[in-house]
Amino acid sequence: MALLNRSDWYDIARDTNWTPDYVTEDELFPPQMSDAFGLPREDWASYDEPYKTTFREYVKVQREKDSGAYSVKAALGRMKFYEQADPGWLSILKSHYGAIACQEYQAGMAEARMARFGKASGMRNMATFGLLDETRHGQIQLFFPHEYVNKDRQFDWAHKAMHTNDWAAIAARHMFADMMNTRDAVSVAIMLTFAFETGFTNMQFLGLAADAAEAGDITFSNLISSIQTDEARHAQIGAPALKLLIEKGKKEEAQKKVDIAFWRSWRLFTVLTGPMMDYYTPLEKREKSFKEFMEEWIVGQFERNMLDLGLDKPWYWDIFLEELNDTHHGMHMGVWYWRPTVWWNPAAGVSDAERNWLEEKYPGWNDSWGQCWDVITENVRNGREDLTLPETLPIVCNMTNLPIVGAPGKRWGFKDFHHDYKGRRYHFGSEVDRWIFEQEPDRYAGHLSLIDRFVAGHIQPPTIAGALQYMGLGEGESGVDAHNFAWAYNYEKPQKKAG
Amino acid sequence: MSSTVPLVVNFEGDFVLQLVPVESDFTMDQVAEAAAHHSLNRRVKPQPDRTLRVRIQDAGGPVERATTVEAAGFQVMETIEVYYE
Repeated sequence: MALLNRSDWYDIARDTNWTPDYVTEDELFPPQMSDAFGLPREDWASYDEPYKTTFREYVKVQREKDSGAYSVKAALGRMKFYEQADPGWLSILKSHYGAIACQEYQAGMAEARMARFGKASGMRNMATFGLLDETRHGQIQLFFPHEYVNKDRQFDWAHKAMHTNDWAAIAARHMFADMMNTRDAVSVAIMLTFAFETGFTNMQFLGLAADAAEAGDITFSNLISSIQTDEARHAQIGAPALKLLIEKGKKEEAQKKVDIAFWRSWRLFTVLTGPMMDYYTPLEKREKSFKEFMEEWIVGQFERNMLDLGLDKPWYWDIFLEELNDTHHGMHMGVWYWRPTVWWNPAAGVSDAERNWLEEKYPGWNDSWGQCWDVITENVRNGREDLTLPETLPIVCNMTNLPIVGAPGKRWGFKDFHHDYKGRRYHFGSEVDRWIFEQEPDRYAGHLSLIDRFVAGHIQPPTIAGALQYMGLGEGESGVDAHNFAWAYNYEKPQKKAG
Repeated sequence: MSSTVPLVVNFEGDFVLQLVPVESDFTMDQVAEAAAHHSLNRRVKPQPDRTLRVRIQDAGGPVERATTVEAAGFQVMETIEVYYE
């Protein structure tokens, strides 16, 4: 029997709506799980997903994608990439897998929420495939690093990280849970799929893929490019929802949710992707700076996407553009200085040649960030590794759970954007983080940051060693300098070993 | 009897806010010294000829050098700036 063309039957088949007799509409689609914007179900009938696929087509394409990614891995598995890779590049792999792999499963739960509670049948259909996508991403990004676990315990954190109280894991969980797992289906559609996936996954999965190809890591480049092809499809769930919300007079509420999700994504990328691109990737392999990638993928493309839909630029756009110059440099320095608290080995990336590159890409870097690195470099050369390690903890933001940083040296003058609420003082790394808190304070007020837990006596003993134990970092897992300080001697063999 | 007061410290020239516990009977000079331990010679070059002062963030001027933490009314997790006069 000949198959019908998809267009002949798709619309009828996907519209599996029925009229409930035994339960009310709100029982079938509870607003807190389904649609916090309160549009009636009839309105959702006009939701039109831009990308249509069927299960048969989906399985065929996904099988080919998986075959490609796994074949490349198998073919290149004998090339001893691990032994030959730059230590900075291996740190990229470890931080990426730890921060992302298990969150893919959480993203699967978010897709499942849309698949069950979305009132638009097109949304439910696309999200069903999205759920399968995210399951694939979780599995493949746990399987690929697994082959390195017997060489290096830090790769075990691909699975372990999200099950610990490591500060970076807390930050990632807090942010992803806010946009993926604690919202109604429509809010997930616009916060996760529109703001995060159309905006930021391009950075991590395409921008980084370019660097990976340059660095000779064809397996990783191929893997994350393959993932991005799924993202590009299911990320389209959000735009038609936004179009509908704007048409129905809900622009202001929708805009606010996009603004919140965009900022939270940006801040997480300053600690995850920024250091990878501007410090960890070997200098000769860098395609562009983090700021240049951001300008291309976010400032150019995402801004246009927002305006095309009828949204405005977020109110904080000027603050965001200003942050492109600095915030990730602060996150990098914080991660490097507090390196025992992470599951990868941060690459300092500040040899003379690398500093020249940073100065070229970020004019004024030497007068600001360079001043702190001058002191650190001198300590390394003088054998004072002890002074390059922390004796206290940084203050972290009560929204991002990331260190509160700002430009140092000659440009010092940043501040703590604190806020008192119901007798407790909250600390924020930016005006925008504080604004997000103020929009819905009871949503966030109960959470204790790592520092709040430390001050409250939850972490014992109250020392760096106690904090490392609390974060689950054991022997062979805590980060050390990726290049054993060779950068301080411009990657020549150190004349005098630090420590 | 003194008690420990954790403070949020923003040290001039440094890049990050840090947690610095001090005693309630510490003078501002002692607070500055405790804060300096985590920044000076680590990421910030010392300026030996200049005096470190302490002010609450967004306050106009510094707290007198001999004033104690308790007398200055610093709360737990008060945000202070330590800077060269």
